[in-house]
Amino acid sequence: MDMETVTLSAEARAVAERIRNLRDYLELLAEHGQCITWPETVLPEPDIRKVVVAAGRDAMAGPAIVFDNIRGYPGKRLVIGVHGSFSNIALLLGKPKGTSIKELFYELAGRWGSDKPLINRVKPDDAPVHENRVEADINLYDMLPLYRINALDGGFYIAKANIVSRDPRDPDNFAKQNVGIYRIQVQGPDKFTLLSVPSHDMAQQIRMAEQDDVPLKIAVMLGNHPAMAMFAATPVNYDESEFAYASQMMGSPIDLTQSGNGLDVLAGAEMVIEAELLNNKRCLEGPFGEFPGSYSGIRHVPLFRVTAVSHRTDPIFESIYIGKGWTEHDTLIGLSTCAPIYAQLKENFPEVVAVNALYQHGLTGIISVKNRFAGFAKSVAMRALGTPHGLMYLKNLIMVDDDVDPFDLNQVMWALSTRTRASDIIVIPNMPMVIIDPAAEIPGKGHRLIIDATSFMPPDPIGGDAKIVSPPTGPEIDDLAKYILRLQKEAEGR
Amino acid sequence: MNCPRCNSAQEHLRTEYQGREGDELVWTVFYCRRCSFTWRDSEPAESIDYAEREAWFRADPDHPEKYKHNIPPADGN
Repeated sequence: MDMETVTLSAEARAVAERIRNLRDYLELLAEHGQCITWPETVLPEPDIRKVVVAAGRDAMAGPAIVFDNIRGYPGKRLVIGVHGSFSNIALLLGKPKGTSIKELFYELAGRWGSDKPLINRVKPDDAPVHENRVEADINLYDMLPLYRINALDGGFYIAKANIVSRDPRDPDNFAKQNVGIYRIQVQGPDKFTLLSVPSHDMAQQIRMAEQDDVPLKIAVMLGNHPAMAMFAATPVNYDESEFAYASQMMGSPIDLTQSGNGLDVLAGAEMVIEAELLNNKRCLEGPFGEFPGSYSGIRHVPLFRVTAVSHRTDPIFESIYIGKGWTEHDTLIGLSTCAPIYAQLKENFPEVVAVNALYQHGLTGIISVKNRFAGFAKSVAMRALGTPHGLMYLKNLIMVDDDVDPFDLNQVMWALSTRTRASDIIVIPNMPMVIIDPAAEIPGKGHRLIIDATSFMPPDPIGGDAKIVSPPTGPEIDDLAKYILRLQKEAEGR
Repeated sequence: MNCPRCNSAQEHLRTEYQGREGDELVWTVFYCRRCSFTWRDSEPAESIDYAEREAWFRADPDHPEKYKHNIPPADGN
């Protein structure tokens, strides 16, 4: 499929045109009560952690929180939870607060299309991110209100940065420019470690740079356009640009400029930290409270040196709370994890109806599919394991029929209860796994599980009474459900 | 003061940054050059008191071979 731009509703178009950077998005959120400024003075630890955990409890409607009164960090601003709820994501997509997750999924899936970049080039002199430039005496502690995210993390993390790097063997290729979210632990005023999953683009680039003994320059973008934060974590193929995806998904141009070390960066980022890999140097990193809800261990991790920093005046440090789910990590990348798996499956199996891979970056996925014959759903599941994301992440897969909404766990439980035979459970032993999955046999290797909860199809012997009740479904029922909610609210208001 | 995580002595610690409000010193951030732990002296004891930290969260810089490599260096060291 190739198209110029995605088709957007009038509301989505208005939002896409309005939002060019983080500040625009915070303003939009605030107008809808989805961004609040914390009214009291906080200590970096443990106060910030407590507030954001409380805000994150409401995955549907929790707000972003700005802290502008942090002890010891006068004048500095921190925002957490920008993508912390599905209502915040809905507003970014031009949908009302409270839009269902399923509706948001189809909105995103509908935007999934060509890889044609909508890039607006901004001269470095005109880019807000270059308003302030620091090239000597760099001290990250003096620039950012750093704090410990979980109580037993090994240090202070920059956990929501978009990191830009180029293939060190093909540095002029825009499409091979990688933008990803990797955790960064500050290791000194101008040093940090960066952890990447060995299969990810960044890890490949680190290996290439060290093998060829060539420089690997990176740009760490902080406080970004909200679409960038959502799509930098999207598992696209190696030669596809995340900038292109982000702009396509928003349906409006992304403003790019050059960093001092020659990479494309967001012109409206709050801060860009330019750094270079110290080839073959390693430093102890971790533990860090990770998205499976457990601490990862300590490892030797590649070390980088900061060479320069550009930042907007009074920059806002955007961070995230990660831990035992739900957290902002799940709402940030949940939908953008589902959409590519769906699109990639659709290429081979148009029978796929929806993919719910919201849980812990897709460690559990639920796929609904129009079943064609006995065992068909299992083949679709195998294909899902071969998608770029499925390769490492899709550990537990539940396959359901097209009459089951994979985003409605009550319906999924109905399918498990009525359509699963014990012999329809497949365990694939000794498969690759995410190294931080606590359920691994050894880090990086473990078992996969497929539960086929689809209905029996010929040539399967079909149970005698398997005539399914067909309650009314579709847009009319969805609208009626919304109407009932409105009536309830009105009744409450009386 | 020793490192809260690996108990290394003062000589291995580095003062990273001091948070100030006007003339008031609010807190100080330290870094352990042996185990890379970073902490602020205003944090709760569960994070910065060696005795209160669960053993799993301690570090043993005398035995770096205990810790895996995320990406092994190309030069093999």
